[in-house]
Amino acid sequence: MNEELDSQLSAMFDDELAPGECELLARRLSRDEQLKARWGRYAVVGAAIRSERGVRLNAPLAGRVSAVILTEPALAPAHGARRAGVRWWQPLTGVAVAVGVAVISVLWLRAQAPLAGGPLGAHLTGVTAGVPSAPVVPAAAAGVPDSYVVPRAPAVRAMVPSTELANYVVAHSVFSSPVPRRNLLSAFMTSESGRAADEPPDEPEGNVR
Amino acid sequence: MSASERFVALTLAWAVAGAALAEAPAQKTSPEQAPAHKTSLDQAPAQWLERMNQALTTRNYDGTFSHWHGGQVEMLRIIHRMQDGTVSERLASLDGSGREFIRSGASLTCYLPDKRTVLVEQRPPQESLVGFPAVNDQTASFYDIREVTRTRLNRRATHVITVSPRDEYRYGYRLWIDDSTAMPLKTQLCDRRGHVIEQIVFASLTLPSHIPDSAFKPEVSTAGFQWLRNESAPPAPAAATLAWNAMRLPPGFRIAARSAQTLPGSADPVDHLVFTDGLASVSVFVEAQRREPADQPAVPESAAVGSSSAFSTVIDGHKITAVGEVPPDTVRLIASHFKAEEAPSVSSRRH
Repeated sequence: MNEELDSQLSAMFDDELAPGECELLARRLSRDEQLKARWGRYAVVGAAIRSERGVRLNAPLAGRVSAVILTEPALAPAHGARRAGVRWWQPLTGVAVAVGVAVISVLWLRAQAPLAGGPLGAHLTGVTAGVPSAPVVPAAAAGVPDSYVVPRAPAVRAMVPSTELANYVVAHSVFSSPVPRRNLLSAFMTSESGRAADEPPDEPEGNVR
Repeated sequence: MSASERFVALTLAWAVAGAALAEAPAQKTSPEQAPAHKTSLDQAPAQWLERMNQALTTRNYDGTFSHWHGGQVEMLRIIHRMQDGTVSERLASLDGSGREFIRSGASLTCYLPDKRTVLVEQRPPQESLVGFPAVNDQTASFYDIREVTRTRLNRRATHVITVSPRDEYRYGYRLWIDDSTAMPLKTQLCDRRGHVIEQIVFASLTLPSHIPDSAFKPEVSTAGFQWLRNESAPPAPAAATLAWNAMRLPPGFRIAARSAQTLPGSADPVDHLVFTDGLASVSVFVEAQRREPADQPAVPESAAVGSSSAFSTVIDGHKITAVGEVPPDTVRLIASHFKAEEAPSVSSRRH
């Protein structure tokens, strides 16, 4: 069972887990402390190794996790089972601090659904590393209490204000092929609502004919 | 209800809607819009893509579909009409943001109730009949286009066409194309490894012979909304002294259009260049950077709209923003290699 979970965690971390399984695993993570700890090791590696190969983690997220690690006064030692044969986290200490981050990581990685869970500005990610930004945590969507605080980042002027980006998207859509265009506009239509995660979604309406 | 429960519910609703979908097109398709029953048995996969593009751009249709991305599902409705050579289209979010996008000929209107804003863009006449990128032999050299199977979807016979990118600069697709109408009943956007990152599935679809004008009226009340229009005339070609060009492009991408225009809510001229590989396209917008004393130095930034990407940077005092239905690295590559050159004029033209 543990091996299976490890395998699923590994697949999730590598973005190779089916969306349905990923969501189920994310839910389990939200209530299984041991699993959280296990995932924490994956997450902290992704954050702490800072671009070591084999780990796909968004730079801003890594920056946020790194910031937490660097600002945490006392790093608790790792507990829990280790996955045999996976050695890349062994040099790391203080992984427990990432447990809280881990949940965020899981949800963030999966909810990257850019623009789906928050204002556009929240999804503008600076390319420059080391500039942490406010977290994008669709906590309510997964029933996870919003109990984690990420250090505030210095405000950086958004280069592309959302209205301006909307302009660009609309102007670009005229030149797209039909299918990509429909994808683009559909994503634009459903983006930035930011409310689906805050409240339970309504029942599907009866307008499906 | 959680996202997954909601998805299951929507799936069930979609299944129930199968009968309607199966019958509706037959009932509402007019003779002149009846599918060209050219035998589909031996059509090459690329021809199916062409037929699909043709159907999506020339047919009348009214459909409701689910849009899945990143674990979230939302329902949208699309109404498309081609009448007397003029395209009218309405895309509306049925839940969530409540946004609507309405196109009527050269006029594009985007209602953003969540921002209490309406964007109105009037395309120049010469751009009102924009030709979409066409799948051709060159396109085929950058994608592996195959028909992998034929299956029934929602009681309709469909051809499953896969469009797999040969490199990391573009996305791929899996398309369930209706054998009779060539409409894509289901579309999956995939990364290079074939993982689904976005999906659209029609829950209902009709092909009516007539769609009234009233179908293209927005449902949102715009009282108190801010209206942003690009009513100012496009900048005179002679005013432009620099021509911006991409010094480096991903393999297969070529310039397809270039224009000077103004965007809603802005008085500043913007150069708009479009690059395409025949399927994916990237727009690059170039505008003089407005500097304000209190501003911090701008840094390159990435953004995403669904699976589409945007990247913005500053080069020689100009803001360069690339937007397209491609992976983030592709827009970054294109925008980062823009360069200005002396030019006699920058006029609106297509290539």
